[in-house]
Amino acid sequence: MSAGAGPRLAEVDAALAGRSALPRDNGELVFEEPWQGRALGMGVVVLDRTGASWAEFRRHLVAAIRQRPPEPRESAATAYYAAWLDALEALLAERGLLP
Amino acid sequence: MSTEHGHDHHPRPDSELALRARALEALLAEKGLVATDAIDAVVELYERDVGPQNGARVVAHAWTDPAYRERLLADGAKAIAELGFGGAEADTLVAVANTPTVHNVVVCTLCSCYPWPVLGLPPTWYKSPPYRARVVAEPRAVLREFGLELPDEVEIRVWDSSAEVRYLVVPMRPAGTDGLTEEALRALVTRDCMIGTAVPRAGSP
Repeated sequence: MSAGAGPRLAEVDAALAGRSALPRDNGELVFEEPWQGRALGMGVVVLDRTGASWAEFRRHLVAAIRQRPPEPRESAATAYYAAWLDALEALLAERGLLP
Repeated sequence: MSTEHGHDHHPRPDSELALRARALEALLAEKGLVATDAIDAVVELYERDVGPQNGARVVAHAWTDPAYRERLLADGAKAIAELGFGGAEADTLVAVANTPTVHNVVVCTLCSCYPWPVLGLPPTWYKSPPYRARVVAEPRAVLREFGLELPDEVEIRVWDSSAEVRYLVVPMRPAGTDGLTEEALRALVTRDCMIGTAVPRAGSP
């Protein structure tokens, strides 16, 4: 298994600092359901494979967070990774990789 | 370890978002943009590359195994490696133990050196100039601001981290925790306890 699939977590944290920061609890990443971890992994691999920058992804993520107010009873992690999927799809669409 | 989808043991039916994530993953795989095992690798790496629970594991183990405690205080880097933690920046990890008469607190006056293999990422205040300056000049007052009031007779030792040496505070095991398992003890050891700006309390956090 390759350990070289993308940047260290600390680099991702640094790139997403601020309002697009990864949800954490006492320093630990919060994944409430497995798909949230998959979403993070997909983002890391897609950026790695497409050469898109974290700054570019962050721009989409901040926009997606802004456009997607949390639904009632929705946790912060669920809302965040839902916006993450929006951002990933927007980035792929912008690059003509998704319809 | 990885299966076709990498997560074939859902306890519940998938949520709409889970289905959406899976559909996107399938589409990306179809386009050859991502391979499922590459995602597995990242997720596994990031889940292990985590925060203060590594340190909590080290401290709780030291509380319950006196021989381990000795090894930890003698050579922190070697002792955390026994539990599978480490990495380039843990080469010179020094564990400093609190006692009834000595309380340790860690700072990096120059920048924000931090024992991240055991504590994860430093909190914002750790990197702030006021903490970095004041904890050296007036540690007792700074700790009081963190809600930690130490008796006058307790000596406070401030450890200044550097690129070469990182410190981990081994707090004292709280009274009244004799019946707790090592796993239960871990939950008492917060990040701040291992920086030295808090002490573990039975029944916390």
